[in-house]
Amino acid sequence: MQKLGDFKLPQFFNYPPYFTLQPVRETRDKQVQLWKEMILDYCRTQKIYVIGLEEDFPLFTNHVIERSLSHEARQAFLSALVSDGRAEWMDKSHRKCLILWHRVQDWADLILHFVKENGLEDSVMTVEEIRSGTESRGTELHGMDRTVLMRALKLLEHKGKLVIFKGTSADDEGVKFSV
Amino acid sequence: MRRRPGIGGLQNAAAARDQFRALGDNVAKLRTDLMKEQLSTFRSQLEDFARKHKNDIRKNPAFRSQFHEMCAKVGVDPLASNKGFWAELLGIGDFYYELGVQIVDICLATRPLNGGLINLEELCKLLRQRRKTAREAVSEDDCLRAISKLKVLGSGFEVISVGKRKLVRSVPTELNKDHNEILELAQVQGFVTVEEVERRLTWSPGRAIDALDSLLDEGLAMIDDGHQDGKRRYWFPCVSSISSYVGTDTL
Repeated sequence: MQKLGDFKLPQFFNYPPYFTLQPVRETRDKQVQLWKEMILDYCRTQKIYVIGLEEDFPLFTNHVIERSLSHEARQAFLSALVSDGRAEWMDKSHRKCLILWHRVQDWADLILHFVKENGLEDSVMTVEEIRSGTESRGTELHGMDRTVLMRALKLLEHKGKLVIFKGTSADDEGVKFSV
Repeated sequence: MRRRPGIGGLQNAAAARDQFRALGDNVAKLRTDLMKEQLSTFRSQLEDFARKHKNDIRKNPAFRSQFHEMCAKVGVDPLASNKGFWAELLGIGDFYYELGVQIVDICLATRPLNGGLINLEELCKLLRQRRKTAREAVSEDDCLRAISKLKVLGSGFEVISVGKRKLVRSVPTELNKDHNEILELAQVQGFVTVEEVERRLTWSPGRAIDALDSLLDEGLAMIDDGHQDGKRRYWFPCVSSISSYVGTDTL
């Protein structure tokens, strides 16, 4: 099986027609499904949070078979992920896409778990500390994308599990947990 | 006895005919009885054979295939019913039933990718992958038998020949001669272009496009506009020997 880094590429990736948007409905549905799964899997294993449509995202081109996804195809597959709630457009012109290989709710659950595991139920932490502090090392929270983290924190704030407050500088946002 | 004309004569002729007929019936009955006896001897010998070689039949596809041929010659169908001597002795009914179910599953799973036509080799490969832990090996002959049993159930499965390959069809799509010729042409590289079809089969442009588009509509073909030369290619998953593009775990 072909690999991209340590990622095992599924077989369909080597079949040229999959790089052309299929006109027949049933065939197209299957094509979209395969691409969605592969994109999510790849982003999850490589910890990729953002895909730029006009950039060189490795899955968009297969050099071995000399095929590349058209802009329209890229739009189609990413839009399908957005419809599934597994991605969000970051801009109106749909040039950047935030990939939620964990849903925001899943990230929120991970944060709650992290809080409980580390006895932080009533503590205060900066947002940065959550994603790069020593406690988060070895967990999925470590190194996570800040945008996604903020989304998860806002969700938890909405549920009354914490309060977000601004610190002394713009970079210094903090969180008071009340789990 | 001198033949006498008149009613008496007729009655005698009738009686004679009856006697001949009775004799004829007897002979026929004798022949049938003899045949039945021979057949029943054959059958019991076959049963003995099956009993003795049960394991070989189970484990060895080539042996199994020859056994089937033997049975066919004697007019015995071990798969005719799931009950009775054969099914119980060999458990062979279950084996083919199980295969049939797995074949249907695979065809359904790959249908969105190949439009309901899959080549036999591909099907067997997927079947074997699926049955990795099973004790019994599976041959193409086994697949064909399982499929013919499926046909009896009226499930719309059929095996068709295109060029050198056998394709298993699991949808009611009828392939006409034009379609068949394109599929045969496609076997060389896995795809065709309109130009190629026109040239090699000496068809008019309209005819080529119509046939290709209808194959596309049936889900049997996929388009590829990504080649440098800018020519559209029509790919046919059912003639490719690339393993299905569905991971085996999905099956």
